[in-house]
Order: sequence, then structure tokens, then C-alpha cells
Amino acid sequence: MVRCPNCGVEQEENANFCSLCGEPLPGKILDSQSFIKSGKLRREGKLLTDYQQLTGFQKRKIFWTISGLVFISAIIIALFIDFVGNQKITWSKYPATVSLVLFINFTLNTFMRKRIILMLTLSFLSVTALFMLIDVYAGDTGWDIKLGIPIILAAYLTVFVLIFLIRRSKLKGLNIIAYSLIAGGLLSVCTEGIIFVYSRSSISLGWSLIVMVSVALTAMLLLYIHYRLKKVTDLKRFFHI
Amino acid sequence: MDIKNGNMALNPGKFWFALDNAAKIFPAVINANVTSVFRLTAVLQHPVKIEPLQKAVLLAEKRFPYFMVQLKQGFFWYYLEHLPQHIPVEPDDGPLCRKFPRGNLLIRIPVKNNCISIECSHILTDGTGALEFLKTILIFYSEVCGIEIPAEYHFNEPAVIPEEEYEDAYNRYFKAEVPPIVKRSKAFHLHYSLKSYPRFTRLNAIASIEQMKRIAHEKGVSITVYLISVYLYILQEIAEGVNSTGMNKRKKKLRIQVPVNLRNIFPSKTMRNFSLFVMPEIDMRLGHYTFDEIIKSVYLQTKLETDEKLINKNISRNVGSERKLYVRGIPLFLKSLILRMKYYSLGTNQYSGVLTNLGIIDLPAGTGELTDYFIMTPPPPNKLLKINCGVAGFGDKLVLSFGNITQSMEFEEKFLLFLKDQNIIIEQETKE
Repeated sequence: MVRCPNCGVEQEENANFCSLCGEPLPGKILDSQSFIKSGKLRREGKLLTDYQQLTGFQKRKIFWTISGLVFISAIIIALFIDFVGNQKITWSKYPATVSLVLFINFTLNTFMRKRIILMLTLSFLSVTALFMLIDVYAGDTGWDIKLGIPIILAAYLTVFVLIFLIRRSKLKGLNIIAYSLIAGGLLSVCTEGIIFVYSRSSISLGWSLIVMVSVALTAMLLLYIHYRLKKVTDLKRFFHI
Repeated sequence: MDIKNGNMALNPGKFWFALDNAAKIFPAVINANVTSVFRLTAVLQHPVKIEPLQKAVLLAEKRFPYFMVQLKQGFFWYYLEHLPQHIPVEPDDGPLCRKFPRGNLLIRIPVKNNCISIECSHILTDGTGALEFLKTILIFYSEVCGIEIPAEYHFNEPAVIPEEEYEDAYNRYFKAEVPPIVKRSKAFHLHYSLKSYPRFTRLNAIASIEQMKRIAHEKGVSITVYLISVYLYILQEIAEGVNSTGMNKRKKKLRIQVPVNLRNIFPSKTMRNFSLFVMPEIDMRLGHYTFDEIIKSVYLQTKLETDEKLINKNISRNVGSERKLYVRGIPLFLKSLILRMKYYSLGTNQYSGVLTNLGIIDLPAGTGELTDYFIMTPPPPNKLLKINCGVAGFGDKLVLSFGNITQSMEFEEKFLLFLKDQNIIIEQETKE
């Protein structure tokens, strides 16, 4: 009997490795040098690169730092070229504002992923501010309040409900695609409605209804496949009361 | 109950059952710290031989197919569904009694040096059920190692696993229309601050059963009653030393929850949960109790509370409430919320400590010779309870295992010191 130095159990005489923890046993000549490395190290190391060993948050933070550098330098360069060329700020305020808002959203996505409601609210506010600023730059036409912000609000609400549904669903698959399709359909109905109210002050929906009906049919088919035709959990055991 | 009649082992993947009455609370309260996983360890005389053990586990599995299940979420209740996997025999190098992840079996076998352990979720079974399983493994193990096993211990693989072994025995002994129980007042709780994760540690102390028996019999009581009394006495000593303010000041009752194996009272062969508890108490408002007064009171209280009719009343209360239609119709997520609140208000709030005694374990002679002693580690206590104690006896060794999640060892030290003062020799203390 041979005793494993790691977990202390006894092995068959002819064993090379512990059948409990996988450590190589002492006194055995192993031809492959790589096997002699401790099993624990092998399991932990598992040929992960430095980047793979980072947590999701650390990866996002790296991405955020890089994007921050790119955006900030883009803003500075744009402002600088514009100023040198025209002696005052003209066109460059558009790319600068957009870059700033993008950077704000990247920041939110990096640091507030756990607080989804707050993240989406702040993100919505930043985009609203972007629209208002662009409208101010363009000379106060008022389209931001009447057109831009309602559409953006509708988009954010749809996305929020979609995220909620995706997180709620235990078995992810075709149902996610179905939810996304319905969300897209709803959003197009909202968009067309808002455009109509803005341009003609009345609602009569056209193309968006066609979109809605077709995505609804597809989504129903997908949901049916997802919930019915998969390996069904016995309904009796699921609903036993 | 919708269990198919016939041999469950013949339809793997088909069988499922509802959680038993006692298990229903656990899925609602389990988290990384309160895992509801307890551990039974058999410490052998020699290092474990791993191949025979693996064979023995495979053999034992066949005899207990109803342990090979996973926890699933239904719409109204959780349920247990067959999971065609082998019970994992693993090196014992992780934290003690850690939680079972979703989609895994609710039982594992950690092995290290001389120790074969079973870690088992309370959802699956209670201490007695898990002990039967561990004993079966040990008997098969010794058989594979070439030891003769007497015929009465032979587990022949039966053609049909008796349905009684996986029944919810509470249901069988339920009697309708029994008056509900009056809620108890809140009990005193230890005040020590908690450790950070993994916060659960245990201290094992070994005493002689003979000696313990002699001292307990001098007082005219059993070992369990004696240990409960020590527990209460030490709690009293600590409680009297605490300057309690506000709410704590009113919590003057010291209560110990002592699980009782109902199989001894109501005949059942079930391998799932079938235990309730008695709660001997002393009321500190009535003044200081001497040790002899505590022993007398605990003795009478345990006698009274293990009365068959009284236990039946408790079963009926527990089962009755789960049978009410309006309770059954609540969707699971709401039910879990309610259960979690009830767990503290009706559960932990009412007692200051837990002492669970598995009793003296018997094994066939050959297997017994391989075995040194057993350790019973209760599930990690929650943040209110903080400390609990498991007791198991084998041969002449009585092992006290204190589970602790606090930074203080005061309770254990006082407990063991008291035993030493009573001339009980504590042979060995190990802390993990």
C-alpha cells in the first residue's frame, strides 16, 4: 500500500497517481516531466493567460481605461484642430459632446452593472442632455422635447423591460430571441406613433403595425418551441401543490 | 405523493418526490453561510484505502437510490428529482459543510487521512438517515477489505426498495384537528461577534463514555440530559456576566433545542427527515439555578416533552399548516419569503443553543475494529445562534463537536472546563 502525501489515503501498490485527489504518488518514476508538477498547481494554473485570469470587472475596467484615453484625446484633438482652423469652436462641439456622452455611458456600464435601474436612469439622462445640447447648437428648434426624448424614453423603457425579462428567465434560449423581437416591434410602434404626433399631431400607424404583427407571430412560434417542444419538465411535478 | 409504485432503481430519471415536512423550510433559508449541511465523520484506525472505499460507495448507492436526487424548483414547492450521478468521493480540502450548488446531488463524501465523512443537506435526510448510509458504506468497505460481516448486517440489493424508506413519515402520523401550539417567548442569545467567511469552525473533544455514564448516573440521568444541563449551566454563567440592555434584557429564557429521533417513538423505516425537538428551558428571572436544579428540571422537561401525544401535537401543527389550501396555493417565491421570516421568528429566536446527540453507534464487530470514533458536526449555526454542539458515541469514545461562527471560544472552554471539574477526562481536543 502506498500513502498519498496530499490527502493521506492509501492506494493500490501499482498506482502512479492518487485516485482521490490526482496527486502523483512518491517513489514512482514518471517518464513525462510535465506530470510531476503537482496536481493542485495543474488544476489552478490550467494554462490561463494573465488576461483570462482577470475577473469580469477587471476586464471591463481595462476596456474603460482604454476607451477613456481614446475619447478624451479625440475630444482634445477635435477642439484643437477646430480652434486652430477657425479661431473659435464651431463644428468640433458635436464630436466632443457625443464622445463625452459615450464615455459617460461606458463609465456607467463599467461601474454600475449591479445597479441596473440607476445605470439606465443615468444613461437616459445623459442621452437626454446630449439631445438638448445638440438642439441648442442647432438653434433651438424644439425637436428634442417633442421627438428625440420621447423616442429615447420609449427605447430605454423597452430595453429595461427586456433586461428584466432576460434576467428573470431561468432557461435561456429561444425565448430571449422572442422577447427581443417583441421589444423591437413595440419600439417601432412607439417610434412611428411619436413621429406622427410630432409631424401631424395625429396618430395613424402604418409600417410599424406590419412589423409588430410579423415579429409577434415569429415570437409566438419561438416561445412555443422553447416552452413546449423542449424536453418538458413533467408538468405534474412542476405544479404539484 | 406521486411516487411510482415498483422498483425506483428500474426507472432512473423517472422518480421524484415532494420535500418532507421538516425539509420544506431549508431551501428558503440556505445561503453561503447557513448551509443546512451537516457532516458525519467516521475516524478509522488506519488510513483510508481509497479503492475499497470507492467500491463500497458504489455498492451503498444502489441500496439508497432515493439519496441520488437534486433539488428542483416547482411553481408551488421545491421537489427532489432523480439525478443519475454517482455520489462524489472527494479529497477533504474545502471549507467544512459548504453549500451544495444547484443541479448537484445533496450529498458528498469528503475523505482525508483516516477520516471518511458524509456531508449531507438537511433537505435530504436527518442525522439518523445519514448515519445509516455511512454505516452501510463502512460495512461494505470492511467487506471489500476482506472482513467477515455477520448475516444480519447484509444489505442484499432488494428487488423493490420498500416505499416506507422514502415516505414522508410526518404525513403518516399526522392527525387532524389538534390544537395549535402557543408561541414561546424569545430566548437569550450569545453576544459574540462573528468571524468573516468562511466563518464556520469546529472544536472536537473526546471523552470516555464509561466515565460520562458513571457521572450522569450518579445524578440519576442519561448522558444527553447531563450534557443539556451543562449547556444550560454554562449559558447561564455567560448570560449572568453580560450587561444586557434594551431588548436583550427581556430575553431571560435559556432554551436548548434538542432534536429527537422520532423513529424511536413512532415506528418508521424512513430514511428521510423524521425528527422533531424538545426545548428544555430555564427562566433566569426566577433567580440563579444550581447545576443540580438544572439537571432535575431538564430531566423532567425532557420526560414530559417526549410524550407521544405531545409530539403528535407538534407533528400535526407542522403538517397541518403545510396542508392548508391557502398555504399550498402561494407561489414558491412568496412562500420562501414567508418561510424565511418564520425560520427566525418561530425557530432560532426561541432557543439559545442546539445540542444534538446521535447516541451510541453500533457496528458489526469486524467493522467496529476498523473504526476509532465518530464525529457528528451539526449544520453551521446561523448568526443568531452562533454556537451549537453535536455528540456521537462509539466504543468508549464520546465526541463532542462544537460548531462555532464567532471569534470567541469562551463557551467551549467553559463547557470543557466544567466537564474536567466534574472529573471527566477530555482526552483530545482538535480545532479545525
